[in-house]
Amino acid sequence: MTIKLNIIELPKSDYQGGPSSLCPGCGHDQISSVIINAAWENGIAPENIAKMSGIGCSSKTPAYFLGKSHGFNTLHGRMPSVTTGANVTNKKLQFIAVSGDGDTASIGIGQFVHAIRRNLNMVYIIENNGVYGLTKGQYSATVEKGSAKRKSEPNEQPPIDLCAMAINLGCTFVARSFSGAKKQLTSLIRAAMSHRGTAVIDVISPCVTFSNNDESFRSYGYVKDNELELHSYDYIPHFESLEEVEIPEGEFQDITLFDGSTLRLETIDSNHDPSDPVAALSHIHKAETEERHVTGLLHYNPGTKTLDEWLDLSDTPLADLAEEQLRPSEADLASLLAQFRE
Amino acid sequence: MDKVVNDFTFNIATANGTGSQSANLILLHTMFEMGVPVSGKNLFPSNISGLPTWYIVRVSEAGYQAPGDRTHIQVLMNKATWADDLAKLEPGSVVIYNSDVKLPVERDDVIAYPVPMTKIARGLNPKLARMIANIVYVGAIAEVVGIDQAKLEKAVAKQFKGKASAIELNVTALNLGREYVKENFEKLDPYHLEAREKNPDSFLVEGNEAAALGSIFGGITMLSWYPITPSSSLAEGIISHIPQLRTDADGKVTCAVVQAEDELAAAGMVVGAGWAGGRSMTCTSGPGISLMSEFIGLAYFSEVPGVIWDINRVGPSTGLPTRTQQGDVSLLYEAGHGDTKHIVLFPGTVEECFEFGWRAFDYAERYQSIVFGFSDLDLGMNFWACNGFDYPDRMDRGKVLHTQEELDEIENYGRYRDVDGDGICYRTLPGSGLKPVLTRGTGRDEDGVYSEDPATYVATMERLKNKINGSRTALPQPLLREEVEQEVGIIYYGSMENTIQEIDDQLEETGRKVSQCRVRALPLSPGVEEFVANHETIIVLEANRDGQMYGILRKELPIDLVPRVHSVAYSDGLPPRARVYSDKVLEKLVEVGA
Repeated sequence: MTIKLNIIELPKSDYQGGPSSLCPGCGHDQISSVIINAAWENGIAPENIAKMSGIGCSSKTPAYFLGKSHGFNTLHGRMPSVTTGANVTNKKLQFIAVSGDGDTASIGIGQFVHAIRRNLNMVYIIENNGVYGLTKGQYSATVEKGSAKRKSEPNEQPPIDLCAMAINLGCTFVARSFSGAKKQLTSLIRAAMSHRGTAVIDVISPCVTFSNNDESFRSYGYVKDNELELHSYDYIPHFESLEEVEIPEGEFQDITLFDGSTLRLETIDSNHDPSDPVAALSHIHKAETEERHVTGLLHYNPGTKTLDEWLDLSDTPLADLAEEQLRPSEADLASLLAQFRE
Repeated sequence: MDKVVNDFTFNIATANGTGSQSANLILLHTMFEMGVPVSGKNLFPSNISGLPTWYIVRVSEAGYQAPGDRTHIQVLMNKATWADDLAKLEPGSVVIYNSDVKLPVERDDVIAYPVPMTKIARGLNPKLARMIANIVYVGAIAEVVGIDQAKLEKAVAKQFKGKASAIELNVTALNLGREYVKENFEKLDPYHLEAREKNPDSFLVEGNEAAALGSIFGGITMLSWYPITPSSSLAEGIISHIPQLRTDADGKVTCAVVQAEDELAAAGMVVGAGWAGGRSMTCTSGPGISLMSEFIGLAYFSEVPGVIWDINRVGPSTGLPTRTQQGDVSLLYEAGHGDTKHIVLFPGTVEECFEFGWRAFDYAERYQSIVFGFSDLDLGMNFWACNGFDYPDRMDRGKVLHTQEELDEIENYGRYRDVDGDGICYRTLPGSGLKPVLTRGTGRDEDGVYSEDPATYVATMERLKNKINGSRTALPQPLLREEVEQEVGIIYYGSMENTIQEIDDQLEETGRKVSQCRVRALPLSPGVEEFVANHETIIVLEANRDGQMYGILRKELPIDLVPRVHSVAYSDGLPPRARVYSDKVLEKLVEVGA
């Protein structure tokens, strides 16, 4: 039997990482395996990927995928700023970042907001379980009102919806999915990798240890029963030779991504236009009031300049510039001193 | 009355936001262009408009740059400080004042030159009268002490960047001030300015501008910053030079600038950029350093290069945000949690602000650690005389492996394996595909693999200690001026350089000959220990309350040398005045029986 290779002739094993130390059955491990699949299927060379994360259960996962890529497990809530510095230094890298709800919605909410505001070219995956796992089960800011954990009083505060927030901030790619929805999540992550700009994917990833009481909004059982799927897709990378098929009216919607690849949406709710942020917000709101999750590509707005584009950085990544390109000449210094002495 | 030539101090009292800074800079630049040794100190409030501001101009043939012990010529423009400023004057002082303010000058022991500055200014342009009145006092001063008219007009043109209408208005105002004094007063005071031959190479520049240029010539590839006085002008200096000095043939920039959402993010960007192979930098002041400390610790432990300039202001917290201090020394040296030790560079002159500006990147990449540039409001935001900057040496990009061949030459490569015995390991960069590693703050072994093994942790921490200790002989070495007697030695650093000679001269007037040792970097050079060993009594002189450098010396010197080391530490927020410190040094020497 021959080993299946991707478009750049690498086996999937080249995209795998170390063994996970998360709890058995953790949704985060499913997401890691989807990241491996998506990167392999998209045919991105592992050395061109940089894995970024903050602190928390989710942020440990870069050790468990893409072992041939450099990565940086940074500080709690500060992954976006580190990614910003790395991005402007080497804009050719594909940044795949993993964060959690504590890391993003609480300690790191400022950096989350400003990464979106800058349209930092990165895939920003939030593994959202509504709970602090490593510190043993405190509520996070995305936990729904009324959630009751064994060790705490019921939560009285409203949750922060990171997708709604991202849409309001002008995020150019906003999606929600579920760690158990492997097919949908793979399509979304593959599409996000092809997008230029900040691609936020809020992945509901139930905590098997601290958040799996079935009445919890983010428990495995609850989501399985109540998930409202907005779209399901078939992702066609541009380097595959498949001809585009003509889509029967009203059933599909194709979106051409920045790099020329196409995201095909099989529309269940045919009224939703992902380019319309208000429609996306009302879907989120409706789902929330009906105590369901709406998943899929909620908002998509390509063609906005990314941070590295509006900075107008040199074509060669700054990390690759030689001394002669970085240091002005002796003549430059002399003319500068002459100006001072005028 | 004996003439006093080129040895007196002006104090110009105005209100913030009235345009007096332009007037004061015109005055300073004109005197400088006359070849007269001069220094200016801007004492400004944390305020946009209305609060009192003083500008002190010291004219000193001896080249002293500190503000001086007393005011000889007081300019009064500000109602709010009028009585107080007047009361502080010694008999015989000169008072040039705006008589339209209608406040009394009830001292018959001063020489007063009242000038109706507002009236003169209104006659020229009623709307801009408040601003123009400031230029009128420049004209009045020019006539009183004898300032060259052509040089004054040239300075006006430079200050207003060739804008014809502004230049004309200001020159007219100057002349009216000058004429008024000429027509109404006989010169009764002894103060005269005499032109000297000016070194054609010399110019005035702020420390922040010099550090900005040093960074530009150091090949900075990313500046992240969050505005904070007194560091903002360093960042703005870098930004202003990028179009001219850091764009490529296609007109694209080779230095990214990101104004961050806060200092946490600014530091995070520095760490991210350094990790990705860039020369990254931020600049801030004490409050920013506090916020950056978690990242500073991460960079130390995960061994990521980066440069942070601290332009020190008075803390803690907001403290006196527009005043100067050397109060962040111990904070910088051990920033972060757990055991850390950082490289800190202490420029004492604008030339060194430039030099350490570029060297900081070499040290950061060599030692794969954060390097601090330590300046302060006095050095950073005031103008200082400078003869030019020397072009940098070739860059040191540190131990980075770029090719498989380079990697293959290393037996048993590991990101954190010390193959050369200097504590510095080889790194590979993201995008290279060479031996990738997940960089992190969590414990790891020599291959960069997660580990909480006690022996592995200890080995890592010992190596980090050796690595930073290895910089002691490579960093800028202390500058010594040693006396033959070698009884008393003064250790000092940073902007105190600009006051030390006057302190030394004042001590010598009392019969004390002291050696000087200017520390230019932490960790300390062995040369500092040698200096201590060579002198019977050591004074560590600094502008803070607790003697922060003294504390570091006590901790690091051999125990038998510690008893000879004493602290003279004082900070009131103002730029150091020589007399304050020389008196304290003398007191201390008496106290310790030296």
